[in-house]
Amino acid sequence: MSGAFKYGVSLYSYTDDLGTVMTLEDAFGHIADAHATGIELLGEANLPDYPELSTAWLDRWYGLLDGHRLEPTSFACWIDTEASRSRELTVEEAAAQLCLDLDLAKRLGFRFVRPKFGVIDDELTPHPVWEEAVERSLDLAAKHDIVIIPEIHAPTPIRHPVVEAYVDFIQRTGTKHFGLLIDTGIFQDRPLPFWQHETPEMREGAMSFLNGIKVPVEQLAEVIDHVPFIQAKFHHIDETLHDHNIPWERIVPMLKSLGYSGYLSSEYEGVRDPWVAVEQVRRQHALIRKLEREYDAAHAGQGEQADA
Amino acid sequence: MLERSHIQSSGFDNVSEGGAVTGFRVRLRQPNYRGTRVSLVEGIDVTVDGEAFPAARNRYRIGGGDYAHGELEGLLDLRWPVGTTIDVMVPRPGGLTPGVHHVETVVWYHHPYFPPQFRPIPVRDGRHATIIL
Repeated sequence: MSGAFKYGVSLYSYTDDLGTVMTLEDAFGHIADAHATGIELLGEANLPDYPELSTAWLDRWYGLLDGHRLEPTSFACWIDTEASRSRELTVEEAAAQLCLDLDLAKRLGFRFVRPKFGVIDDELTPHPVWEEAVERSLDLAAKHDIVIIPEIHAPTPIRHPVVEAYVDFIQRTGTKHFGLLIDTGIFQDRPLPFWQHETPEMREGAMSFLNGIKVPVEQLAEVIDHVPFIQAKFHHIDETLHDHNIPWERIVPMLKSLGYSGYLSSEYEGVRDPWVAVEQVRRQHALIRKLEREYDAAHAGQGEQADA
Repeated sequence: MLERSHIQSSGFDNVSEGGAVTGFRVRLRQPNYRGTRVSLVEGIDVTVDGEAFPAARNRYRIGGGDYAHGELEGLLDLRWPVGTTIDVMVPRPGGLTPGVHHVETVVWYHHPYFPPQFRPIPVRDGRHATIIL
């Protein structure tokens, strides 16, 4: 028998609701009420004084975690390698940014940090400073017991030089404090509606990945040993619990067969009308939990038979 | 809490200098999902009732400071957090007439994690808003 998934929610899901129709307290309530156990936070979105962190805010954070019985999962940060039109970060500056976020994550109780590096091409190849910046941060990550997990995000598939470079880095350094975050958007196999500011020209060009890059779920097996965290990206689940873009009916059994027992952290990225995200996250958890139960029921007793 | 639209009702007002109305201001909440270094905002265009006020001629009031368009690029350590507003100060002698106007804005973001061809990327809003005096 494989282990059970853990269920979490990223505060990203409530983008635009937070601060207009929803407080942080409301968001905690919605996440806990969805029977989730983990919460994912975005530093430069949800911390009001980022990069500062007041003791009053820390008290509020830990009070909310205790009150709702939630644990911090992943802390999202950005390494803005092209910090303006005319200014690129040096390795030292990029490393300092990552270390700053590792410190913040530690104070907030997180086990993972997801850095989003600036990119140099349409395939989202990270700026070359990433490798040395991460290497210089590994000792601090070890001290804080945090794993740094850049995301594998569409249009970058699993079989790609970006992923190879990350895996090579793990093998070269032997570190246990660097891994891969899989964003389930890479498995999207049906097109997204045009987003608010998208033009047909953009969709035909570099944004064609929004039609879905359709990574075969079987390829998860090639990297799963390096994947401690999954962002459950999704866009729309209808009232019959049918996801219009992400093939959960193939993703869930594959993750179960590979023994994945980490978090699935909801990242709703659909229509941004008020409160839609609250219901969408609930539907996603109902859907994935149903598929997990079905897998478990279909494979019940197999362990015993194997032992006999 | 702030209004859902990027353009806020409150804050839309004529502005005076030395006793004369010199222009107007438009208040915007941070429309991006994350806060940004101000150096990643390449400027904000404003259009009112079809009359264009390009980013380069506007000034920007951010976190208590007042900046010309050309200064934005150098503001690496000043941030525009989610859940906060900035004011775009638009020069227009005499300001706008009291009443309801159609206001449009374009925030030009320089997202380092977007493919280079989409830097900057425009984030648009448009709505009716009211000048009282």
